[in-house]
Amino acid sequence: MSSLTPALAQRLAAEHASAARALAGPAGGAAHTALAALLAAGLPTTRDENWKYANLRALEKLRYLPAGATGEPAVVTAALLPPAVPEFARYVFVDGVLAPGLSAPLPAAAAALALHEGLAGTATAGSVDERFALLNAAFAPQALTIGVAAAAKARLELLFIAAADAAHGASYPRVQVQVEPGGQLALIERHLSAADLPSFVNGAVAIAVGAGGSCTHYRLQHLNGRSIYFDTLAARLGARARYRLHGTATGGQSARSTVMVRLEGERADLTLAVAALGERQQVQDAYAVIEHAAPNARTEQTFRGIAAGRARVAFNGKIVVAPGANGTDSRQSLRGLLAGPEAEIDVRPQLEIYTDDVRCSHGATAGKLDDSMLFYLLSRGLTRETAQRLLKWAFLGDVVAKVELPELRHQIEERLVGQLQDDGLRELL
Amino acid sequence: MGARTAMLSIEDLQARVDGKPILNGLTLEVGAGEVHAIMGPNGSGKSTLAYVLAGRPGYEVTGGRVLFEGRDLITLAPEERARAGLFLGFQYPVEIPGVNNVYLLKAAVNAARKARGLPEVDAFEFLGLVREKMALMRMEDSFLSRGVNEGFSGGEKKRNEILQMLVLEPRLAILDETDSGLDIDALKVVAAGVNSQRSPERACVLVTHYQRLLEYVAPDFVHVLVRGRIAKSGDRSLALELERRGYDWVAGEAA
Repeated sequence: MSSLTPALAQRLAAEHASAARALAGPAGGAAHTALAALLAAGLPTTRDENWKYANLRALEKLRYLPAGATGEPAVVTAALLPPAVPEFARYVFVDGVLAPGLSAPLPAAAAALALHEGLAGTATAGSVDERFALLNAAFAPQALTIGVAAAAKARLELLFIAAADAAHGASYPRVQVQVEPGGQLALIERHLSAADLPSFVNGAVAIAVGAGGSCTHYRLQHLNGRSIYFDTLAARLGARARYRLHGTATGGQSARSTVMVRLEGERADLTLAVAALGERQQVQDAYAVIEHAAPNARTEQTFRGIAAGRARVAFNGKIVVAPGANGTDSRQSLRGLLAGPEAEIDVRPQLEIYTDDVRCSHGATAGKLDDSMLFYLLSRGLTRETAQRLLKWAFLGDVVAKVELPELRHQIEERLVGQLQDDGLRELL
Repeated sequence: MGARTAMLSIEDLQARVDGKPILNGLTLEVGAGEVHAIMGPNGSGKSTLAYVLAGRPGYEVTGGRVLFEGRDLITLAPEERARAGLFLGFQYPVEIPGVNNVYLLKAAVNAARKARGLPEVDAFEFLGLVREKMALMRMEDSFLSRGVNEGFSGGEKKRNEILQMLVLEPRLAILDETDSGLDIDALKVVAAGVNSQRSPERACVLVTHYQRLLEYVAPDFVHVLVRGRIAKSGDRSLALELERRGYDWVAGEAA
């Protein structure tokens, strides 16, 4: 049951008041409405069905005021940024606030970007799975809206740098995307840490793709291993709209990703491919709920997670087929790899089908490296370390190979190699 | 088997799988330059012998001894056996999606070179060598970019085993039913690959159920395995006799 302890409710209200100046833009009233809704509805607890693997212990201790808009602005230099991806405009946000000096904007015609002070749009309490989005709505000092006009094309990277120590405040990336019918957007959403400080990031992204439009969304959660990370992604797809979401999650002491996609138009097409790596005591938790609300739509969902050390890697993938969504075609392949005796993998496919004419397949496995594959490689003379590393790499291959931008794929591979702490893998790149 | 020095010397080998005895005192010597065929009915222990020699986990040696070029083979890890020059051609080669064929070949060759204190192969020259061997095995260029055995037909997998053998140039190749599931054209290609490796320094053990392969790869010795022991040994003519008279004939004699 979602709830707030009195202490936490008091803290949220007090910190919201202290950040009032930053949050009192033209939409300040909306932020207050969001806060009131949050205080009434509460945050999820691990007793809530889709939250049992999340690490919510830190919530009582965190500071919630937006770091980027209150304290001293953090100094982030261009040298810290990853290499640009060719043909992508880049907008850099430090602790959730746009840093124009680090950004390389789009040609004006490609898409309409607008930065709003405070909350853009409205926020309601929604389901328990949307409460972190509500928290974001209450505290986000800025919101970015992106509009891709009908039949237009845009390529855009949003780079969110977490710089502030969680002891001083939080970062609230907030993005709303509208792709008009026939428009095409390639979007890179990347979360990085400026240093080794523990940060608290709580992002909210909403995407709507109109009829026949497309959005390819590369989502890289590559924070340092000390940070607390939450995100909520809500997407709606119109008829024949195509949405491809490629996620990699390597960072965070504790990370939780909530993805909610509604296929609202006939023949909408969704590809969701996620790779997650956990090591030491990291928690990588993800919940994805896909709702087929229109006929003949298609979903392909792939998850590959590796848990090493004492890490926990969880993926809960739920597909709901609404009454009347005939001809639904959904495929789920969820696989977890245990790479340490004390590691934990939880992969859970769920199907809720309210109509007859559907094709839904799912497979979920969690286990160690395949013994017969391992022996095959050893029998060719490879060292055990090389063979294990190669098989881990191959395990992630199903997801990584789907990244079609060579430069970005290379950067993702570099990150995964770094996370697997295995320099021998570099020769594979 | 005379005064020649054995490359592989198996003495009274006993082994079990899942607690069940499969090899029951097997003795065999294989000299450099020789090709031996191990034949026998299903369940006689042919594949178990191949796996025991390669060091597959779960194949437990309970007695006897195996010397490979003077070293106690059983104490070596599978990867050490491979680097020492032993190669197992799998009856059912494993598919490893996501691990590139060429990468595996190069990693395998470099592992063996490293063990001998040699530098890594030159990537460009190596690719040339692989292409040359692929031509011999009639394999298409697209093979280079595919995952190990990924989506390969049965015949392609067997040809890939032989390709790996040709590239690795092992001292001793143990080929476990490499002929099974091959049509006659593929069988000829595989046989040509095996024959191209025959030399006074190398040896080969062909594990096979049928004598068909032996029409194309002429063995120096043929052994019949029955209930985990060599029941009968002879030259090539023994394979032909088996073809005529069936395994029951030897099994009856051995009983």
